[in-house]
Amino acid sequence: MPELYLRLLNRILTPVLLLLAIYLLLRGHNLPGGGFIAGLMAAAAFQLQILSRGHDRVRSAIGPYLNSGIGLGLAVAICAGVVGLFEGTFFKGLWFKLNLPLLGYLELGTPVIFDLGVFLVVVSVATSFLLGLSRVSESAVIIGEGSVSPDLTDDPAFDPMETAGETSREVES
Amino acid sequence: MAVSANLLAAPVAAPLLIAALILLLARWGGRRLIRHQIALTALALCFNFAVALLIFQATAGQGERLVLQMGAWSAPYGITVYGDGLSATLLLLTALVALAVYPFAVATIDYHRARMGFHPLYLFLLMGVNGAFLSGDLFNLYVFFEVLLMASFVLLTIGAQPAQTNSGIRYVVLNLLASTVFLVAAGIAYGTLGTLNMAQIAERLPLASPAVRTLFAGLLLVGFGSKAAIFPLFFWLPASYHTPPPAVTALFGGLLTKVGVYTLFRSFTLFFPELLISWQPTLLTIAGATMLVGALGALAQPGIRRVLSFHIISHVGFMLMGLAVALSGNKLAIGFGLGAAVLYLCHHMIIKTALIMAGGAVELHMGSDRLASIGGLVTRHPFLAFLFFMAAISLAGVPPFSGFVSKLSLLQITLDTRHWLVSGVSIFASLLTMLNMMRLWRESFWGDYKRPSRVPTRILQSSLRQRLMLTPIAVLVLLSLGLGILGGPAFRLSMRVAQQALDRQAYIDAVSPAATFSTKPPSHFVPTTATVPTFLTENAADLARSPFVPSP
Repeated sequence: MPELYLRLLNRILTPVLLLLAIYLLLRGHNLPGGGFIAGLMAAAAFQLQILSRGHDRVRSAIGPYLNSGIGLGLAVAICAGVVGLFEGTFFKGLWFKLNLPLLGYLELGTPVIFDLGVFLVVVSVATSFLLGLSRVSESAVIIGEGSVSPDLTDDPAFDPMETAGETSREVES
Repeated sequence: MAVSANLLAAPVAAPLLIAALILLLARWGGRRLIRHQIALTALALCFNFAVALLIFQATAGQGERLVLQMGAWSAPYGITVYGDGLSATLLLLTALVALAVYPFAVATIDYHRARMGFHPLYLFLLMGVNGAFLSGDLFNLYVFFEVLLMASFVLLTIGAQPAQTNSGIRYVVLNLLASTVFLVAAGIAYGTLGTLNMAQIAERLPLASPAVRTLFAGLLLVGFGSKAAIFPLFFWLPASYHTPPPAVTALFGGLLTKVGVYTLFRSFTLFFPELLISWQPTLLTIAGATMLVGALGALAQPGIRRVLSFHIISHVGFMLMGLAVALSGNKLAIGFGLGAAVLYLCHHMIIKTALIMAGGAVELHMGSDRLASIGGLVTRHPFLAFLFFMAAISLAGVPPFSGFVSKLSLLQITLDTRHWLVSGVSIFASLLTMLNMMRLWRESFWGDYKRPSRVPTRILQSSLRQRLMLTPIAVLVLLSLGLGILGGPAFRLSMRVAQQALDRQAYIDAVSPAATFSTKPPSHFVPTTATVPTFLTENAADLARSPFVPSP
């Protein structure tokens, strides 16, 4: 079980990080921010989840959607470029202005959609890296102690011959 | 038919979009879903081929230059995508190679690799290669180099055999070093010339100090040269090409080094054409050494794919030789050497892919590609033996095929410019190629039937897979035959492509970078220097006749 402070921090910080990510995403066109940084911020929120709840729970919750997230993000980004063809050039920015009751004056356009695509790609890629790294670090510890991690062998993509050989070599050196 | 410049975005955007759709729709696993991935990938490849044909028809066929300023931001601020005959030729050949290798890949790639994302990676690689051919500024060129490097690295190591991982590490380390050298060159360009747009670099480079020009050119030669596998920088290629599945080797052999060759062609013709004359001895030495080392290295190799990968190096030497004599004074035509090199590039991409696929088919039938332990396949697979033989003699340069025309034209220009030594080396390398090809054919098809592996392969049992493997090889061999028979028109077309590429003023005008708003020029800008490049005065007699050099 993780430390108490991690569980507390997790409850407080995760919503803050996610809200900050959305804020950075939306202000990013003319001010510092944008899809890439917002994606890293959201991935940091997921990393906090991994630390406080354990990587297997996080993986079972969001793992299946990561590849789809990369695909969706790329598709959204490309489509934002294709929309520009209506104005004559690929990736031409189209802007439309909104006056919403609560949020006030908003200027939305295809660059925001492109940023949204970037955000999705970065969040998915970074989170899948973090999940992969947490699995490797855990398996290295367990194999060093002389047993095999149960969740590794359950994974269909896991080939026990290869990874076990590699990690034990790493542990020895 | 006028073609919209927006078409230039399609060879990059379409593979990326389809790859994204595959990632989005396909959860890994399930053979039925793999089938959907194959259908989508084939769709993207066909679309890419059609678009490449359209672009080729507009640029190489009608002499247009297509320029797309992304998002309508003008040149030095926005991203420029540029397509002329040279880019379009390579786009078309890339589309052809990708389309031809794909059935072979579908027939031979195992389920495990397909499940790990082979098909989207194939499209990512295609996107990177296309983007490198179309890029109009140095930084995007670097980005697309990285895209194709990452995609090829994963394709190389997917499956995680120990030999694959070993070669993958060497491949990625040496290629990253080359990319770093290129990035340093881009940094120098930005620091001294204040721009990364290739048209603007071409415009300002004659004003830069000679030291900067030499350094920039040297770094680009090293960076692009190691991507192209020229003489002292080729070590990543033979270290890695024999380990992945044969389909991946065929794709790499057809595409990867050609990106380096293209960038060498582009940078030398656009940025510093004068160096094609002052650096000619160096370039010819490198070309000769590359030819010779590739052919001699192939002689010592024990396996089919190792021999073929050394021959890729040897052939890059031929192309570099054509580039080196592109601007020499000769009685044929200015740019004859580059035209011959472009024709050689076409020949090489077509036939090398066919030959590696044929070699891969032998390897899959035999379970090994070590020449000493296989033999006698001609009795079991006469058609494969026939195709392998035809591809082999085309590679060596026997008359009815494209190899003859392209080698003959290269030889003609080097003899005409009196480079006897490098001509002799190229003939010797061709003879060595012939020797090697005959050795490959004799060892693998002639003699008693020897099959070292006892494991029955799926490939041997399915006639559909057999057809998927052999049809693309047959098509490519036929194309090579057609290119050889229609050598005259093909050469005229490649001459037109070469002359378009050499006309650097038209490139600059087509992109028409806006004037910089900086009022203070960099300190080393010497306004009194004549803007006429020095090479104009050196070979003035030859160049004055040519229609495409801007009059001073």
